[in-house]
Amino acid sequence: MDAMIQLIHVSKSYDRRPALSDISFEIEKGEFVLLMGPSGAGKSTLLRMLIGAERPDDGQIFVQGKNVTKLTRAEVPYLRRKVGSVFQDFRLLPKKSVFDNVALPLIVQGVPSVDIRRKVAEALRAVGVEHKKDQWPTSLSAGEQQRVCIARAIVNGPIVLLADEPTGNLDPQLTAEIVELFKLINARGTTVIVSTHDPHVMMLVNRRVITLEQGVMVTSPEPRVSA
Amino acid sequence: MRSLSYLVREAWANMRINRSTTVVAIMTTAFALACVGIFLLLYVNLRSAAGWLQDDIKIMVYVDDRLTREAVAELEGRLKADRMVAGALYISKEQALSEFRTQFPADFHLLEGLGENPLPASFVVTLASQYRAPDAVKRWTERVRTLPGVAKIDYNQEWIDALAGLIHYIELIAIGVGVILSAAAVTIIGNTIRLTLFSRREEIEILRLIGATRSFIRIPYLLEGAVLGGCGSALSLAILKGGFELFRQQIGTTGPLRGIESLIAFFPTSVCLALVLVGIGLGIAGSFVSLRRFGDGRT
Repeated sequence: MDAMIQLIHVSKSYDRRPALSDISFEIEKGEFVLLMGPSGAGKSTLLRMLIGAERPDDGQIFVQGKNVTKLTRAEVPYLRRKVGSVFQDFRLLPKKSVFDNVALPLIVQGVPSVDIRRKVAEALRAVGVEHKKDQWPTSLSAGEQQRVCIARAIVNGPIVLLADEPTGNLDPQLTAEIVELFKLINARGTTVIVSTHDPHVMMLVNRRVITLEQGVMVTSPEPRVSA
Repeated sequence: MRSLSYLVREAWANMRINRSTTVVAIMTTAFALACVGIFLLLYVNLRSAAGWLQDDIKIMVYVDDRLTREAVAELEGRLKADRMVAGALYISKEQALSEFRTQFPADFHLLEGLGENPLPASFVVTLASQYRAPDAVKRWTERVRTLPGVAKIDYNQEWIDALAGLIHYIELIAIGVGVILSAAAVTIIGNTIRLTLFSRREEIEILRLIGATRSFIRIPYLLEGAVLGGCGSALSLAILKGGFELFRQQIGTTGPLRGIESLIAFFPTSVCLALVLVGIGLGIAGSFVSLRRFGDGRT
């Protein structure tokens, strides 16, 4: 099997307080992995490292064979174009329409207008909010905003989708819907990593779980790709 | 194409978000650049005046009274044969007296009291245009001063030198004021851009996370700086032009400078365009400084 993501003895400290200590694991291509742990366990730090927003003090991180810790500042944007990100607080631009928010990753890549229209429509359809494309994010419910955020993350066909506490602001019903959405995206071949502290999400996902506690990895079963 | 239109729209949106600070930035930049422009205008016009004086330079070569008619003719021949001389007009003692009478009729009785004509004969020499630079004129007068029969040489170089000194001082002031006020313009525009950056920091963070390159993030703010600097510079030229025309109108009707209104001129179009480009450059510099301070390069 091919390792999509590989962490080798990764450590990170802030002001001498360890955020991550000697983390090593592999995530295979097409896997769906849950990153579990309470607040402050180091989940967000780990996800930020995968997109080059943080650098480890020690260790190596590989994404699709590329050493992320060795990327130059100019190379980081190109990594992020292959790794979609979903956030707990959605991070949508309030003064842009749903369409424009989702189109943004394509615009920064210089994709032609005609392709942008098609790809944004596809992404919005995939998350079930195509009919909301002309609305402002502030007029949407939390669940819809998270769907738009996911559409933005998948619009340019990333190889990996990272979601940092994506259901943190959602009720159980919406959480279940969003988890189903991630499963669908994963079923199409995208490697998905979702961080959460919610055991309910773990039950819904029912896939491999990597557990962190105070920056230390306490469980990491062998990789398994979804059927 | 979509990226380009996006970047332009973002720059426009940036200016709309902080409309009042945008207007204040353009106005203050305009006044700062107008102050620089006043000295520049003064400098350009004085240089031009110095050029006219230098072009119009007439050298008086006074002839020794004891010189015979033949010797005067020989001196005339030598002057006219000189490759630096464009023309040499002989003014006899009688002609000099007659001109004095015409120019200073009230003082003419002073000369009459002397009995004989005290005014010397002279040649009014005009040098060829390529030899009218101060150094060339000085070298020529030093050479001709030693010719037999030449009593004295006089020309208005002192005037021109004094004007050149004044121009030099104005040049220094213009440079000093220019540097200080340009730095002020860069700071004003930089602060405006910083306000925009602050109000859009979340958006910048999102752009970073979805894979926007540093230049993609920077371009709207650099465009905004360019527009602020360009508009400020264009407005400063409009202010200067208005002030200049008012000044020209005033001195044309009253005051001791009456008559020079036709000699002074505003900047030519090429200089106006260059000044707008300088404004654009200052605006971009202001944006760039703010972007660096904001840390747009971080990942």
